[in-house]
Amino acid sequence: MRAEKKWGFIRFMLTTLFLYALWLLFTASIEPYSLIFGAVGSLLIAALTYNIFIARHQANLRYIIPNPFHLVLYIVILVFFLYQSSIHMVRAVFTGKASPRIVHFRTRLKSDIARMVLANSITITPGTITLDLNDDHLTVHWFFCDTSHAKLAGEKVKGRMERFIGNIWS
Amino acid sequence: MTSLLLHYMQWFLIICAVVCIIRLLVGPTAADRLVALNILSGVALAFLVVRGVAQERVLYLDVALVYDIFGFLGFLAIARFLKDKISDGEEM
Amino acid sequence: MSVREWFALIAFASSVLFGSAGLVGMFRFPDPYSRMQAGGLCGTTAVFSAFIGALILAPNAAIAARVVVIMVFFLVSAPTGSYIVARFTWQSGTPVWKPLAKTKRLSRKKEPT
Repeated sequence: MRAEKKWGFIRFMLTTLFLYALWLLFTASIEPYSLIFGAVGSLLIAALTYNIFIARHQANLRYIIPNPFHLVLYIVILVFFLYQSSIHMVRAVFTGKASPRIVHFRTRLKSDIARMVLANSITITPGTITLDLNDDHLTVHWFFCDTSHAKLAGEKVKGRMERFIGNIWS
Repeated sequence: MTSLLLHYMQWFLIICAVVCIIRLLVGPTAADRLVALNILSGVALAFLVVRGVAQERVLYLDVALVYDIFGFLGFLAIARFLKDKISDGEEM
Repeated sequence: MSVREWFALIAFASSVLFGSAGLVGMFRFPDPYSRMQAGGLCGTTAVFSAFIGALILAPNAAIAARVVVIMVFFLVSAPTGSYIVARFTWQSGTPVWKPLAKTKRLSRKKEPT
């Protein structure tokens, strides 16, 4: 029971810190009134929502806190992937060559946040859209499908991203 | 030259928005209309940012930031509403 | 033209290219999923290129910092919006378009693993 209370407190503090960092980023002012108001507001919101924000079963800090260096690196790589698959897509639009298909595969990422980031990365690159994410089971609409083997399709769609995301929330 | 570039970019984004609105009005199913609306929101966001840089006013960018963060809540509401309508057995 | 303006011109030109390709694709493909894929060009890549161009032409640091924050949050919010639309399309049971369909059996069938 004690460990659970402690874990609840840690989740509460992490939520508060995250909200306060966002407040500082958006207001971009260091007046005392703004700082105090932000602190009170983030404490109040964190007390109400920390159970939803970080689920209780995420019982490992490494699943929640990202590695900052890999996070920044991944944003740059994601922009590169975005342009790479956009060029493929432009070619497909003007030639009309396409083989759209829905593929199902699993991911081996453990953390909820990492799975969410993987699904969003798949959606943001033109050519693949996540239709459903259920635990570790992804349903993806793939515009350039060339295989009917589930594992191979999964490797082609998510392989390059999954490796980088695994480094962020290892 | 800088103002000319920004000026033409604004016109291109307006044309994009008009074409998206055509798709929004034509689209045969509700899903097509939602796709057009999704693209329209992105184009509106880009227009706000480019206009804010062209006019050198921070206010446009603050509006764009809030629109960026809470823009998808509208889709959530519309999608939920349409799903309820479908499950009630009504025609879209 | 300064160097800054040349880079901005490249960014805006790629925005125009991707945007018009996305709009063409949105009218060319027949089903919502493919329209979403093509529209993602206009709704994500073109918008992101416009942001990059605006960042290059930003007149002062306050505007540049806000554009950077908007870009980072756009990478989170854009796929969330498309995901909501895609999920709605999937759950309302829209079939998938197949260009050279040999069978009539469409979606909702799991791949053999």
